[in-house]
Amino acid sequence: MSEKTEYRGSIHQSQKDLMLNWYEQLDRAATTGDPPTVSMMISGNCVELLEGFGAVPLYPEVNALQLAIRHQSLDPILAAEDLGYAADNCAYVKADIGCMLKGITPTGGKLPTPTLILCNFVGCNTYLKWFEHTAKLTGAPLYVIDVPFMRTDEPRKEDVEYVVRQLKETVEKLEQLTRRKFDYDRFRQAVDCSRRSEDLWSQIKHLARSTPSPFDAYFDAITLMGPLYVYRAKPEGVEFFETALAELQAKRDAGHGVYEREHYRLVMEGPPPYPYFRTFRDMFAKWQACAVASTYSTVGGLWEFGFRHDPDHPFESVALHMIEQNVTNRNYLQRYEQIRRYVEEWNADGVIIHFVKSCRLFSAGQGDMRDYFTKQLGIPTLYIESDLEDPRYFAEAQTKNRIDAFFEALEHSKATALRGSA
Amino acid sequence: MRIASGVDVGSTQTKAVMMSDNGGINILARALVDTGANVQRAAERAFDKCCAEAGIQTGDVGFVVGTGYGRYKIAFGNAQMTEISCHAKGAGFLCPSTRTVIDMGGQDSKAISVGANGEVLDFVMNDKCAAGTGRFLANAAEVMGISLDEIGPLSLRGKYPVKLATVCTVFVESDILSYLAQGKKGEDILNGVHLAIAKRTVSLARRINLEPEITMTGGVARNCGMVHALEEVLARKLQISPDAHFMGAVGAALFALEKLDQSFEFGTWKGQHATSGGH
Repeated sequence: MSEKTEYRGSIHQSQKDLMLNWYEQLDRAATTGDPPTVSMMISGNCVELLEGFGAVPLYPEVNALQLAIRHQSLDPILAAEDLGYAADNCAYVKADIGCMLKGITPTGGKLPTPTLILCNFVGCNTYLKWFEHTAKLTGAPLYVIDVPFMRTDEPRKEDVEYVVRQLKETVEKLEQLTRRKFDYDRFRQAVDCSRRSEDLWSQIKHLARSTPSPFDAYFDAITLMGPLYVYRAKPEGVEFFETALAELQAKRDAGHGVYEREHYRLVMEGPPPYPYFRTFRDMFAKWQACAVASTYSTVGGLWEFGFRHDPDHPFESVALHMIEQNVTNRNYLQRYEQIRRYVEEWNADGVIIHFVKSCRLFSAGQGDMRDYFTKQLGIPTLYIESDLEDPRYFAEAQTKNRIDAFFEALEHSKATALRGSA
Repeated sequence: MRIASGVDVGSTQTKAVMMSDNGGINILARALVDTGANVQRAAERAFDKCCAEAGIQTGDVGFVVGTGYGRYKIAFGNAQMTEISCHAKGAGFLCPSTRTVIDMGGQDSKAISVGANGEVLDFVMNDKCAAGTGRFLANAAEVMGISLDEIGPLSLRGKYPVKLATVCTVFVESDILSYLAQGKKGEDILNGVHLAIAKRTVSLARRINLEPEITMTGGVARNCGMVHALEEVLARKLQISPDAHFMGAVGAALFALEKLDQSFEFGTWKGQHATSGGH
């Protein structure tokens, strides 16, 4: 029996208001040139730095996913393919480029030509080409921050210094482009706001360790991720996460879960299929299966294990966040360990890996990941394939079949164990 | 005597099995029809044929479990299970010491790790692509201008298998035509076709734990060329039940019997009735 449940607190409306306000600022920037805007990648974003200029971030990924969730991504994807982009290129890139070509925006408002395209390159090679293309199409200046990949357990001191130097060069670049002086105090305050937002966000994620979990840490977490990337360095962001924590804490204290009865607890790996977000969610709702943790919600930052931005060392902590504390710049062994800890500490029954056809960054190696969890750790793990943006890759019947089979197996195992212990 | 049925609506063929439990579990009858365009009708035809074969009235059947891709279209079905669970259950019943099942059907292939009670421990399936499935073999047969039943025996006569450049169901056609143009023998081409699919299927199956005894199920198990190719690549004999093609329906019927017996009365499964509009 299908059960459609999602968290609907006051923060749901606040989130909409905040994101609408963000798009209005972008619209104003497109019309008047103010505020300055900086295009960035979500993962390892340095939104704190922008606060020192009163600049607003512009995230092509957020635009792309907003289109997909509104079932509007195929047209721009086809427009990009008409231009020569291949079928297996990143669908986020194609949606973004297609939107520029066709003048489409997620809200219908205007999007500005960014003051600076800042390629905060963290793990995703595609981003370099993506931003080169957008620079060519828009004529906006491009600056690349080269962030060393995490090949070791801890970042080297030289790597942190290397990124800090580039961040300071970015400041110089932005001073020239915006004709504004960098406000160091405002930057430090932004870093402090981020510290507080991250602390609240981390507490929210730890609430999902309760049984039942008061929210779905994959599907519901996505609602909270927009403010996390756009507003975490602002007082509005801190206020939003204070409200979110209070609401979800109250739900947890009252023993209210996502479902009337939480049957299964899952860890989700990989981004969701945004064009079929609701359909995909319902496939888990049918089994009253709740995600208690997800790697996708750590794309923008990994805070539940203790890292916080540090106002006493603002540049260094921004650099550390970019190098070490976001999922895409971490090596596979670190990703394994992150998921293993979720399963163990968040008390999950299994892992769902959603392979994204057009994203090599997230998906390369996920077959081995499945093997590691099933064969070496004995954790039930399901591997399913579609795409985060391109609706053509989603096969509803096949996806549903695999998900149903996975839960039937869990059900059968539980029943067999019960019979054995009876 | 309790009587229950399993109906497996596959992409190509629909299978129905009638089973009874009268102290011991027996298969009373089997029926096979082509699925065609009307999935619901195919399920009805298979079920009616199976009842007739068993010499019973439809009203005598206590519970019906539907499986396969068309399972939610079985209007008379009481509940649905995926074919993954059903193939495991069926294989666990007919080949009790099997711990690995390779199922090759019309449009998908899968490998299932099975527990001692016929429960699914792990499974892997081909992705959306039909490479490595019955459809690939059907296309190959069509290009060669022979029937699907002939390709297996003919492939066994091949001594010098060709190497296919693709396992794509669409592109295999040009690959085969190219070998025919080079004057290669039909049996060598078909031998190569079967080996290519066997290698792909085994590579898929290695992603689960391959246990010594492997049971093959699904319609492709009737193809002796495919069985031989798989055995060659795996370097071991496969268990092939005479009911391999009906294995999904057998499993579904077993679940239906358990339901009648109230021994499978747990969790969410009991809520998956056809009438609840679960799809």
